[in-house]
Amino acid sequence: MDHIKKLKVQVFGQIAFGLIAVGIISFGLWYILFEQIELDSITALVLAFLGIIGFALLLGELLTRAVLEPMNALTTAILHVAPNHENTPSSPPNLEAVKIGRELVSSMALQIYQLASHESASNAETESRRESIIQAVNVVNHLPLPLFVLNSERNITNASESGIAYVGLESGKLFGQPLEDAIHLEFPSENTLGVWIDECQKSKVTSTKIWERVRITLPDQAMKQCDISAHYNRDNPSGTEFIITFFDRTDKYNQDDESLGFVALAVHELRTPVTMLRGYIEVLEDELADSIDDEMKDFMHKMNVAAGQLTIFVNNILNVARIEQNQLMMHLTETDWPTTLNAVLDDMEIRAKTSGITIERDIADTIPPVGIDNISIYEVIANLIDNAIKYSKGSKNIIVSSQVGDNDLIETTIQDFGIGMPANVTANLFEKFYRNHRTRGKAAGTGLGLYLTKSIISAHGGQVWVNSKEGKGSTFGFSVVPYSQLSEEQRKGDGKGIIRQSHGWIKNHSMYRR
Amino acid sequence: MEESVKPPTQSRKVLIIEDEYFISELYVRALEKAGYQVVLAVDGKNGLDKALSNSFDIILLDIMVPTITGTEILERLRSNTTQIKGKVIIITNLEQGEETKEKIEQQADGYIIKAEITPKQLVSFLDNIK
Repeated sequence: MDHIKKLKVQVFGQIAFGLIAVGIISFGLWYILFEQIELDSITALVLAFLGIIGFALLLGELLTRAVLEPMNALTTAILHVAPNHENTPSSPPNLEAVKIGRELVSSMALQIYQLASHESASNAETESRRESIIQAVNVVNHLPLPLFVLNSERNITNASESGIAYVGLESGKLFGQPLEDAIHLEFPSENTLGVWIDECQKSKVTSTKIWERVRITLPDQAMKQCDISAHYNRDNPSGTEFIITFFDRTDKYNQDDESLGFVALAVHELRTPVTMLRGYIEVLEDELADSIDDEMKDFMHKMNVAAGQLTIFVNNILNVARIEQNQLMMHLTETDWPTTLNAVLDDMEIRAKTSGITIERDIADTIPPVGIDNISIYEVIANLIDNAIKYSKGSKNIIVSSQVGDNDLIETTIQDFGIGMPANVTANLFEKFYRNHRTRGKAAGTGLGLYLTKSIISAHGGQVWVNSKEGKGSTFGFSVVPYSQLSEEQRKGDGKGIIRQSHGWIKNHSMYRR
Repeated sequence: MEESVKPPTQSRKVLIIEDEYFISELYVRALEKAGYQVVLAVDGKNGLDKALSNSFDIILLDIMVPTITGTEILERLRSNTTQIKGKVIIITNLEQGEETKEKIEQQADGYIIKAEITPKQLVSFLDNIK
């Protein structure tokens, strides 16, 4: 920590000095140009100088903090993951800032390793240079971070001491093996380490990637959860190509999982009362239609919308819990896409109206039948429109378009003109529990909706994407597969000739075949 | 989500085995309005006795009912000695275990998740059972 303090003083000194100089020069210029202060008003002059110095010190302090934030976060992070470290701070590291730190430490380590192997291969020119490289490698090896080096054959060639300790494997079972064979890693999406490595070796020179919530199963050990940071650099003769760093987050992520399990249990109890509520509202809406005035009808409508919202919320939580337990089943049936889309939009329109928003539809009429699980897709569209409404903030339109896109996939986009997001937010948007800290206070949500959306669409063989610009709005898109492209197994569902649809299934039933 | 379909011409008989009063009230009301003849049983034993009379076109069977569970009733109705002609549709909000799920898929004619359907949708669902 002392080094950081020293560095802080230095950075602060330089920034403050710069600011004072700039302040004095601009004051002098201003004085010469406008001569608005009489020479005899010495007090004013002194006050102005003091003001400038004070301002410079304050700004200097703030800037120093900003500049050193990743550094501090990195220190906290390292201390946080360091096993049995006396100084381990009780507060968890700042995740946002640590991301910068993670990349920093991994890329630094990669460079040191590559430099070291390169130098030893080419007989380093000077003894002192060799010495310092050996020292650097020593430092990296002793970093309190599980860290693995892979060569171009993807095999582990080196690991930091804490890396070996973290996975608890003998070095014989580690070195010379591909990382994913030695250690069983379970990634939250289909974009695994292996996929990234393939991509890197195929078409990249350098690349960096971070995964969150990776599960690690090791023999005779409880499951661990961590974030993984990986760096790739092709341009080196020594064969050291990848550096993979683990950031253990087991405590935090296990806690999330446990709370989710508990919430799902509690939410399940909500299902029956919500069912009843919706049933009674439906009866009232139907039967009072002719005998109440427009205002009451409107209230009834809103009550229905609120109950619908509650249902989606309950289903979201239960479905995420099902995904966690690998129990979410998709039953794809041949469906007319415009009919499905319009039906959901009809429902959502009522909700949009209560926020003063109009949903414009632009649905192509040449869309072939799609293969979808009705209720899951209903949730996907409802979630995306719900988000669009939430983040519209004053704008009056949402545009829903659908047409046939690349590879004959059916693409649907939901565009709002609301607050939008910067690029660093959209990158993590589809991850579980992800909520942008800047909007956290402004709109309600569980951080599960988009994760669910992505999981459901992936299970359909489609893709999700987002384009967003801060202050301009966001466009969320997803694709589904035409029924004609589904494989025989997908069409059969469970292979028992049972047709399933939104709210259940019925044997030998032709109603939903179109 | 579905459009409601016209009720069938001849009035069909439905037995509802459901202990949750609010739910059964809603279902009975919606089905009667749509022209069905509805009989209600609020526990498993009572429900099984009525079902065995074999005079129903459709039996809506809740899994969690007192005295005899829905799965037991289903098994009895589908056993060789008591083959009944009516369609048995499971109505539930529970997550089923693998074993139960398989049994239901083999023995029941349909499966409805109560939380995902409104009474009106139930009617259109039943209207379309041939």
